[in-house]
Amino acid sequence: MESVGLSGYLIVGAVLFVCGVICMATKRNGIGILMGVELVLNGANLNFVAFSQHTHLGLDGQIASLFVIVLAAAEAAVALAIALNFYNNHLTIDVDRAADLKG
Amino acid sequence: MSVPDLLNHVLHTDLPRSVQIFAPELVLCGTIVALLLVRMFDAHRWLPTSWVALFGTLAAFVGVFAQFMYMKTDGEHESLKGMFHFWGLTADGVGTSGPYFTGLLTHDSFAVFFRIGLLLFLILVEALTILTGIPDQDDGQDFYTLLIGATIGMLMACGVNNLLMLFVAIEMMSVPSYVMVGFLKGRKVSSEAAFKYVVYGAGIAGVMLYGVSLLSGVLGTLSFPELGSRFALLMGDSAFTLSNPTAVATILGIMLILVGVAFKLSLVPFHFWCPDAFEGASAEVAGFLSVASKAGAFALLIRFALAFQGTAPAVQTLCLIFGLALGVVSCLSMTFGNLAAYTQTNLKRLLAYSTIAHAGYMVMAVAAMMVILSGSKDKDAAAACVSGLIYYIAVYLFMNLTAFAVVAFIRNQTFREDIDSYNGLATGGAVTKLVSVCLLIAFVSLVGLPPLAGFFGKFAIFSSAFRAGSVHWFLWVVLGLGGLNTVFSLFYYLRVLRAVFILPPADETKPVEIPGMVGAYVVLITLPILALGMSSFMGDLDATALDVASQLFHI
Repeated sequence: MESVGLSGYLIVGAVLFVCGVICMATKRNGIGILMGVELVLNGANLNFVAFSQHTHLGLDGQIASLFVIVLAAAEAAVALAIALNFYNNHLTIDVDRAADLKG
Repeated sequence: MSVPDLLNHVLHTDLPRSVQIFAPELVLCGTIVALLLVRMFDAHRWLPTSWVALFGTLAAFVGVFAQFMYMKTDGEHESLKGMFHFWGLTADGVGTSGPYFTGLLTHDSFAVFFRIGLLLFLILVEALTILTGIPDQDDGQDFYTLLIGATIGMLMACGVNNLLMLFVAIEMMSVPSYVMVGFLKGRKVSSEAAFKYVVYGAGIAGVMLYGVSLLSGVLGTLSFPELGSRFALLMGDSAFTLSNPTAVATILGIMLILVGVAFKLSLVPFHFWCPDAFEGASAEVAGFLSVASKAGAFALLIRFALAFQGTAPAVQTLCLIFGLALGVVSCLSMTFGNLAAYTQTNLKRLLAYSTIAHAGYMVMAVAAMMVILSGSKDKDAAAACVSGLIYYIAVYLFMNLTAFAVVAFIRNQTFREDIDSYNGLATGGAVTKLVSVCLLIAFVSLVGLPPLAGFFGKFAIFSSAFRAGSVHWFLWVVLGLGGLNTVFSLFYYLRVLRAVFILPPADETKPVEIPGMVGAYVVLITLPILALGMSSFMGDLDATALDVASQLFHI
């Protein structure tokens, strides 16, 4: 099978990144924002793997993507626990309702 | 090199050296395991977890201190020979600076100095939590696990030598901080603060990682020492223009990474989390975050900035853009932080904005360093910038810790944190009077008035910005704004001091009585502010900072 080349992967990665950022900026649901974060992380991961295949980055890129997967899992666990705690205190997960702290 | 040779090298040369350098961090990891075991065997009823944490941290501190003395005296210090031997320090290991763990981290006296500062701060924060009683006995092991875990991330940030480690270190210091901010889980504001912090933090971490992937892909390496030379190689003789794809991708990658670092430093415009997180978190946690994560992030920022050094014209332009971008961020942070602090009624929130402003002052030093490096190649002047920053961070550690410790102790007595609750504080008992004076010293030093230590830190940073101004005029603008902001900042600090010393106490409240132990602790952490401004310690710290900074530039 013919390779699609580096730019194909980078375009998909960039699309994932932009989708994730838009998701983070527009979603009002806390869980939705965290899903946007996952999209951004996976966009970056795709870049790492593509670069490791097509540039001098080599295996470093693949190792980096493995690290990122583990760290993303740790971060998601913490974020969901905090979101649950927020829900317990506020009975909602809407970030706009988090308005007690301001000034 | 063949695979068996490579394995032999890693196992017999790199690994023993790395473990020797990394031993204090390993002690901290062991402390975390011990904390969990204490809880598992129900031993925390007779062995308080706070003491386990404090003992482990002290051991790690001694380890790093031994490393520092070994590097300073080349292992010749007679009275410390036993300590060097105990930690197994050798001339090939700790005695030689350079990368370890196959180049992921790097070891030099700059890293060791920051590690000493961070561990000293961790000890002081643990002592503070023991005195204030947050966390309580049942939650102790969770809290100290998070606190020590975050500190290990910061210790790693001091020696970062690889883009992957940059991401890992920032995540390691962030993830436990999210939980620590929400540690008082029944409180509504605390859960809200943690939620906001984690949502911003996770988003920014993702953006930063995308920057790392771009930068590593364009330059084809993750290793810091190669970034600058690879960039020079790729650019060749071509000028740095925005039509050059390599230049654009590199700038984009650096900018996205700087977003992540700026978030950790709470620099405008990535500061939104800071006031909310500080108000929602307990004062102990806020104090820890305001100093420790800043110190770690500054060490990391300096290492990252110094990765782009070179003589090629394109690298010089990149340095200049890097420095000017930091200069703009510095202006914004100083001005915004000080202006927003005026209207605050909650003291922790006011201190949060003061933290933002101080991060602005400190980043001015890094901006000056990059601008100097881009033009004159004067390494002595660049080292002076870093040494000024080190001095400032060392002083800032004590100033901010004093301020937050007083907030925590007063909260334990009055259960309030708004500025009005400080009215007439100085009319309380003898210890309360003493604590009020300590708060005065900390605040006056935060403003930067002589002869306190804060003045000399600010002076060192401003003078490095002045020197950088001769390379690019913009640093003079930054310097002018910094001077103006110092004057602005006087007023909101004075507002708090007016409440403490001049305003009469509310009628119905009884005078605040602070226990003697607490007074002793506050005096202990205030003394360095005086000592570093008015005694020979100032010269010692200054000389050490300059020595440490020069090593960074191989002078």
